[in-house]
Amino acid sequence: MSEPETSATAEESIPDIPTRIRTGLSAGFRTSLKIIKVSVPLYVAVTLLKGTPALDLLGKVFAPVMGIFGLPGEAAFAFVAAFLLNLYAAIAVIAPLHLAPFQVTQCGLMMGIAHNLVVEGGVLSTTGARGGVLTLCRVAIACVAGLLLRGLWSLWEVASSWTMALSGGS
Amino acid sequence: MEGLLPALLGALQLSAKLILIIVPLVTLFEVMRYLPVFRRAGNVVEPMMRGVGLTRDAAVPLFTGIFLGIAYGAGIIIRVAQQKGLPARELFLMGLFLATCHSVIEDILIFIVIGGNGLAILVVRLGLAVFLTGLMARVWKPV
Repeated sequence: MSEPETSATAEESIPDIPTRIRTGLSAGFRTSLKIIKVSVPLYVAVTLLKGTPALDLLGKVFAPVMGIFGLPGEAAFAFVAAFLLNLYAAIAVIAPLHLAPFQVTQCGLMMGIAHNLVVEGGVLSTTGARGGVLTLCRVAIACVAGLLLRGLWSLWEVASSWTMALSGGS
Repeated sequence: MEGLLPALLGALQLSAKLILIIVPLVTLFEVMRYLPVFRRAGNVVEPMMRGVGLTRDAAVPLFTGIFLGIAYGAGIIIRVAQQKGLPARELFLMGLFLATCHSVIEDILIFIVIGGNGLAILVVRLGLAVFLTGLMARVWKPV
């Protein structure tokens, strides 16, 4: 078999379904293993740190910044994990903090936009795009998205309190 | 340390949940990715892509990034981008779109696992990506 020409589809030859399932399973387990190696130690570390003055202090320092987005100061630690590593590391930090549902959503939105900045910035540069600019954009966009969601959330709360008041009054 | 055991249990529980999401998702993608539907999807999305300043050539890397993510989809994104010789403007627009909205399935699922609202995340990310990319496409005119 010769190499397929540079046709429009740019696709390799198609493996049969059992092969694909095997490829998928092994890729899935390999990814899982990588994730667990990072998330288990982080989760344990944060759980153990939670009661100590160290995390409280960190929380107090970052409270003003995190407060802009409706998050507690401790969430800053999760942002560090998300920016430098990946979302699985961030989740391992967030889970033991027991945040409110809105706060988890907020973290998911902002970190979904800006995470794994080192590796992904490299990937984007390789395509010929401006990796550095895009990485800065991601952090900025994450902040905009965070403010947007917080605004929407406040509107939603006001609206639902009105509906509550109205239905309570009738 | 008396806190260590519950911490370990919690960590294992979280890991188990993550594996239950990742393994089926990756397997499903591997099985489905060769279906002709996905190859022809370019025709359907072309009008939508034009709105944000992108052409058909960017469809494969764009959708790989949206569904798979930048790191995992890197192989496909880099290869197609170079093969098609996408112009700088289109690469920037694609990068901007993907920066805001990528890996939507996996990222959102894992935040649902710890109690987040997936729909809110998806709507804000997609909306913001379309808005920003559309805006930049009008600012940076094609030559």
